[in-house]
Amino acid sequence: MANDVVLRTENLGKKFGHRWAANDINLEVRRGDVFGFLGPNGAGKSTTIRMILSLIAPTTGTVELFGHSLLKKRELALANVAGIVEKPDFYLYLSAYHNMQIAGSLTLGSNPPKTRVLEELKLVGLADRAYDKVKTFSHGMKQRLGIAQALLCSPDLILLDEPTNGLDPQGMKEVRDLIRVLTRERGITVFLSSHLLNEVEQVATRMAIINNGTMIVQGSVEELLKAQANRLVLHVQPVETAAAVIGRIAPNVSLQITHNTISLSVDTAMIPAMITAIAAEGCSIFSVEPKHSLEEYFLTVTETN
Amino acid sequence: MLILLYNECFKTFAKWRTYIGFIAVAILIPVVMVLMHLEGSRFVERQMRALSADFFITGNLFNGWLIAQIIMNGLWVHVPALISLVAGDQLSGEATGGTFRLILIRPVSRITILNAKYLVTLFYTKLLVLSIALLSLGLGLWIFGSGDLVAFDRDMVTIIPESQLWLRFLLAYALAIVSMWTVASLAFFISSLVENAIGPIITTMTIIIIFFIISNLPIDAVEPFKPWLFTTYMNVWQQAFKDPIDWIEIARSCGALCAYSVCLWSATVLVFRNKDIVT
Repeated sequence: MANDVVLRTENLGKKFGHRWAANDINLEVRRGDVFGFLGPNGAGKSTTIRMILSLIAPTTGTVELFGHSLLKKRELALANVAGIVEKPDFYLYLSAYHNMQIAGSLTLGSNPPKTRVLEELKLVGLADRAYDKVKTFSHGMKQRLGIAQALLCSPDLILLDEPTNGLDPQGMKEVRDLIRVLTRERGITVFLSSHLLNEVEQVATRMAIINNGTMIVQGSVEELLKAQANRLVLHVQPVETAAAVIGRIAPNVSLQITHNTISLSVDTAMIPAMITAIAAEGCSIFSVEPKHSLEEYFLTVTETN
Repeated sequence: MLILLYNECFKTFAKWRTYIGFIAVAILIPVVMVLMHLEGSRFVERQMRALSADFFITGNLFNGWLIAQIIMNGLWVHVPALISLVAGDQLSGEATGGTFRLILIRPVSRITILNAKYLVTLFYTKLLVLSIALLSLGLGLWIFGSGDLVAFDRDMVTIIPESQLWLRFLLAYALAIVSMWTVASLAFFISSLVENAIGPIITTMTIIIIFFIISNLPIDAVEPFKPWLFTTYMNVWQQAFKDPIDWIEIARSCGALCAYSVCLWSATVLVFRNKDIVT
């Protein structure tokens, strides 16, 4: 069950006029994943999500949700799927409760029970504002209401497109925590599109990177980050002596020296010997920071692309 | 489908703009009644002057039925604007508000959602026409009383006995609903093409005005086009006040109006089914 594919796209593409907004997108999201979908602004993330949720008709390729073709069996394919595309928009002249009812009834085929609606509103901290008109809500509250309406029909897959856009740091943390709750406690698969790398790094288990409408890479976050060269930043004094030691041990490694830090990419196996040698020369080592960050990785792959 | 109809009804009638039409009717009709009360008898005298030379006319001719019929004539130009205010917002309003992203990602077909919206639009149109009927007949008969109807049609006058008038007016309002459904279908179709609510209102009214002018131009060159314009058939309700009633003309006009509505609905389905939601 763990490796069940809940979402699969094959050669998915969308052309607007003469421009491909997304081209040849092949995604595979497995049950239980928090799947990070990364890309700079305008990379084609939202277009891809809109195609997956049937808001846009693809020019090429197919989308399969829970084994059902979106084109041939739309109702079945979308039965266990919920999503928020870009910013969550609601009927501003209706209350949060009625917005939830309208959204829920479209999936359930009947009005969702009142207790269920209030339960979800409580989860996102909006139970006390249930009967207030949405036009009085802040952006953060609308974002949380968006998540509540997505959860209302107990979906197995949620697609969140930039869910923390426009939120303050506290709001961003709340959304991240909520995503963890969804996956751990409810077993929901989350497809999280974002250009905030830190956000994805903190919650995602697998990811794909898209740039200029084309998918560059896909895989487990851990494996993709491991695969990149080990980048180190040494805080050391005197920096010249340490640089000379490194040059002796690893003559082919290029160093970037600034004030009292040395940045370098080096084979993992060489790191202990190198640190020992620097210390033996009498240098003071203040810190050794491995740089495995997603940001580094993202910049490397998108710049190469 | 029932829950969708309920949702669409709820959304439509929770909007303030839906009531603009009813408010306008509720203000306009009493104002017309007051003005008719002050000036109306002179209008009837003027119209009957030619007849009174040859005929002996008795009874209350300036009555509620006549007022209701005059109001039908007078308001008919403005009712399409009130209808397009709501019909033109049904799809474009969702696009403007971004709420297509809320409803079109659900496991319900776009056509089912579209049909629910269309049916609610037709229901609103019917309700607006019925509110005109109720107010003009109710207030008219209450203020001016009952009697036979003197129906003026260009250079012809038809006197319809009081006993027939309930059925005649029922037919007139039913035919008015059919003709207003075509207007609603036009606004609904235009609403599927654009992403703001003002466009459909202006475009619908522009089309109606242009078609109306062409339909009424006494020029031979435009005669071949007239049967193809729905405005040619929009006054079908006036057939209810002819004697005898021309049922063939009514069937022809209703057929043309319904064909127009079906074509517009089909075009809306085609547009909406393939529409990319990019807002």
